[in-house]
Amino acid sequence: MQQASLDTAPGRFPPAAAGTELLRLDDITKRFPGVLALDGVGFHLRRGEVHALCGENGAGKSTLMKIISGQYQPDEGSITYKGEVRRFASSLDAERAGIAIIHQELNLVPHLSVAENIFLAREPKRGWPSKCFVDRAALRRQAQACLDRLGVDIRPEAPVKSLSVAQCQMVEIAKALSLNAEIVIMDEPTSSLTESETALLFQVIRELKDQGVGIVYISHRLDEMALIVDRVTVLRDGRYVDTRNFADTCIDEIVALMVGRSLDDKFPERTSVPTSDVLMEVRGLTHRGVFHDVGFELRRGEILGFAGLMGAGRTEVARAIFGADPPDAGTIRLGGREITVKTPRDAIAHGIAYLSEDRKSHGLAVKMSVTQNLTLANMGAVSNALGFIDRKAEEQAAWRYIQMLSIRTPSPHQVARLLSGGNQQKIVIAKWLFRQSRILFFDEPTRGIDVGAKFAIYQLLDRLAAEGIGVVLISSELPEILGLTDRVAVFHEGRITAVLNTRETSQEDIMHFASGHGRPAAPGAETP
Amino acid sequence: MSNPTTKLLETAASPRQPTIDGPQAMNGRVMNDRRKDLIQKFAALAGLLVLVAVFSMTSDAFLSVGNGMTIALQVTSIAYLGIAATCVIITGGIDLSVGSVLALAGVVAALAVKAGAPVPLGMGLGILVGAFCGLLNGLCVTRLKLPPFIATLGMMMVARGVALQITGARAVSGLGESFGELGNGAMFRIVRIGEDGFPDVVFPGIPYPVVLMVVIAIAVAVMLSRTTLGRHIYAVGSNAEAARLSGVNVAGVTLFTYVLSGTLAGLTGCVLMSRLVTAQPNEGVMYELDAIASAVIGGTSLIGGVGTISGTAIGAFVIGILRNGLNMNGVSSFTQQIIIGLVILLTVWIDQIRNRR
Repeated sequence: MQQASLDTAPGRFPPAAAGTELLRLDDITKRFPGVLALDGVGFHLRRGEVHALCGENGAGKSTLMKIISGQYQPDEGSITYKGEVRRFASSLDAERAGIAIIHQELNLVPHLSVAENIFLAREPKRGWPSKCFVDRAALRRQAQACLDRLGVDIRPEAPVKSLSVAQCQMVEIAKALSLNAEIVIMDEPTSSLTESETALLFQVIRELKDQGVGIVYISHRLDEMALIVDRVTVLRDGRYVDTRNFADTCIDEIVALMVGRSLDDKFPERTSVPTSDVLMEVRGLTHRGVFHDVGFELRRGEILGFAGLMGAGRTEVARAIFGADPPDAGTIRLGGREITVKTPRDAIAHGIAYLSEDRKSHGLAVKMSVTQNLTLANMGAVSNALGFIDRKAEEQAAWRYIQMLSIRTPSPHQVARLLSGGNQQKIVIAKWLFRQSRILFFDEPTRGIDVGAKFAIYQLLDRLAAEGIGVVLISSELPEILGLTDRVAVFHEGRITAVLNTRETSQEDIMHFASGHGRPAAPGAETP
Repeated sequence: MSNPTTKLLETAASPRQPTIDGPQAMNGRVMNDRRKDLIQKFAALAGLLVLVAVFSMTSDAFLSVGNGMTIALQVTSIAYLGIAATCVIITGGIDLSVGSVLALAGVVAALAVKAGAPVPLGMGLGILVGAFCGLLNGLCVTRLKLPPFIATLGMMMVARGVALQITGARAVSGLGESFGELGNGAMFRIVRIGEDGFPDVVFPGIPYPVVLMVVIAIAVAVMLSRTTLGRHIYAVGSNAEAARLSGVNVAGVTLFTYVLSGTLAGLTGCVLMSRLVTAQPNEGVMYELDAIASAVIGGTSLIGGVGTISGTAIGAFVIGILRNGLNMNGVSSFTQQIIIGLVILLTVWIDQIRNRR
C-alpha cells in the first residue's frame, strides 16, 4: 500500500509556549531488549487542556504514558514539569508531584469501601499513641468532598465491588483529585462504558479542565474525542509524527497520520457471498435466568452479527454453544447432524471456536511464549502419537502464522504477556486458525485495538467467511455490525428479538429491537 | 482436512506493517534469549560449585567418590519429592501431604512383606497406596474444588494418622535382607579381594536410589518440556481458564500431577524404609517442605506456570550439599536449619530481582 500524500515523516516538535505549559517531554528515547519503544519523542501538555495521545498498537503510547507517570525512566531526553527538569524515580514519586494515572484495568480493592479506596495508604489518622487509628469520620467526609467535586452520586461507604465499571472509574478520578493531581492520565477510559456513562465521564473531564488540570487522554475511540479533546499528538512506530489542534483537523486525518496512509473505508469490501447452505443450526437454547429459547442459523459464506446491549446474553449464548457454560436445554446441529457439547473440548473437536472478549484472562496463557499459545489448542498437529512435541514443526507453524497475521514480536519465544493488545488478539486468532476451526465466534474482536489493526481483522473475517468458515461477530459497536455482517441477530434480555438482513436495516432498527421495543415501522425484519 | 486458512491469510495479512525479519535474522535474538536462560541456569550451578569448593577446602573428606555417592544418596528423597512438587506447583497447586504419604506407603510395604508378600509385590503395593493418596488429593482439588493447600493438608494428617494406626506407632522391623536391597544396593560396585583376604572396595558403585533419581528426573524433564502433557501442565498453571477454553482437560492434567506426586511419595517411602530396613510410621516429617524448598530454589514459581526439573535438581543438591558439608564441619543441625532457611530466602530474592526488570 502506498503512502498517502499527508505529511507522515517523523515531525519536529514545536517550540515551547510560555505560561500555560505544565509538562514538556523532549527527545524521549526508551529501549527495551530487542525493541526501540520510543525514539526521540516530544510531548507537551498545557494547563486545562485535554491532550489526546494517538497511535496504533506498538506506536509507543503506553510507554510514553508510563514514562510520564514515573513507571519507566527514559534512556534519553528530558522531562520538564512546571518549568523544572524532573526525573521521576517511581510512580509514587510522580504521584507525589501531582501526576496521577488511571489505568484501563482499574486498580481498586473490591472488598474495601469507596472512601477507603480513595485514601488507601493515606488514611486520615487520629488517636493516641501517634495517631494509630483511622479517623473514619474524616475519611468519609474527605471522600465525600472529592466525590462532590466531581458531581457524581456515589456513597463513600459503598463497597467498590458493588459499583459499575463507570462508577469505579469515577472513584479512580476522585482518588486522583484527592492527591491534588495536576496531571491526570487516562488510558482507554471509555472502553467499557455505556454511552450515558461516557457522557457522565466527559462531564467530569470538563470539570477537571476548568480547574486547570491537564489531561492526557488515550483512546481508540476517535469519534468520541471530538467532544472533549483540545489537541492531539500522534505517534507512529515509536516516533513523534505531529501535534494538532483538534478543531483544525478531522478524524480521517488523524487516522491517516497514525497509520501513515489514508483510510478511505473503515470496512473492507465484502467478498464472501452468503449461500443458503446451513452450517450450524441452533434451536431452543436455554440457560435458566440467562437466556431463553435462543435459535438461529449460520449459513456458509455469511458473517452473522450478534447485536444487543451489554448483558443481553450474546456472550453467554456463544459460551454455551462452545461448551464453556453448558446450557440447560436446546439443540445444536452442524451440517444437519445434532451434536452434544458439554465442554470446550467437545466444541473444539467439532470445529467450533470462541474468541473471548477478555483476552488476558480467558484467551491467553500470558506466561507462555507466542509459539506455545499458538499451538495450545492443536497440540496434536505438532506432536506424535506418544505426545512428544516436534519442536521444529511447532516453530515452523508459529513462523507461518506470525507472518500471515503480521504479529509483531521480537521472537516466537517471546512471552505473550509482553506483547501489545492487538498482537495478543492476533495470537488468539492464529491459535484457532491453526486449529482449523470451521465455526468461529468472535466476541468483541476489536475491543481495545487500534484502527489499522481493526481493518486487518475485518479483512480477515471477510476472508474467513469467503473460505466457507462460519463467522459470528459479537459486537457492541453498531457501525461494525452494519459495516461487516450479512445478517444480524438482535438480543434483548436473553432472547433474540429479531434477525435482520443487514443491508435492509439501520442503526435505529437494531437499537429498537435491542431495547425491546418490538418491531419498528421499517421493513426488513424476519422474526425468528 | 486441508487448512483453508493458510491460503487465505496470505492475502489478508497487511503488507504495510513491518513484521519481524524472518527466521534467519531472528536467530541472533533467539539465541540471545537461550543464552540468557543458560546463564541463569549456570549461575545456580555456579553457586552449587562454590559450595563444593568451599566445603572441599574446609574438609578433607568432602571431595571423594565415596562422599559424592553419599550426598547423591542423601539427596534422592528430596529429589523424588522435589520433582513431583515441581509438577504440582507448575499447575499452581501445592502438595503438603508427601511426607505423610511416604510414611504410609513405606509402612504398608513393610507390613505386606512381613505378612509374607514378596518384596517387589509389597513395595509395589506401597507405591500404589501413594498413588491412591495422590488420586484422593487430586479429586478433592478438581471435583470438590478444595484449595490444594487445604486438600493436601487434610491428607497430610489423615495419611500420618493411618500410618501410626496400622503400626500401633511402632517401627516395623525384621524385614529381611532382601527388603534392604533397593535402598542399599548399588550398580557397578567393584570389590577386589585384597592380599590380606579382606574385601577391598575399589568403587562403591552407584546406589540404586541414585540410578532411580536420574531416570525419574530425565523422564519427568522430558515429559514437561517435550510432550503435550507437559505443555498442558504449564498452560494450566499459566492461565487455567484460557487452557480450558483452548480444549485442555484442566481437571485431568491437574489430577495427573497429584497422582504423580503421590506415586513418587510412595516410591520415596519404599526407598527410605528399604535403606533403614525398618519401616517407621514417623518417617518423613517435614519432607514436603524440603521438596517445596528445592523446587523454589530451582526457580519454580509458587503462582504457577514456571519451573524446570533441572532447576529443582540443582535446588535439591544445594540443600543436600549444604547439609552434608555443614555436618562434616561439625555445624549443629540447628545452625544448619538457619543456614538453609536463609539460602531459600536469598535465592528467591535473587530470582525476584532477576524477574523484576
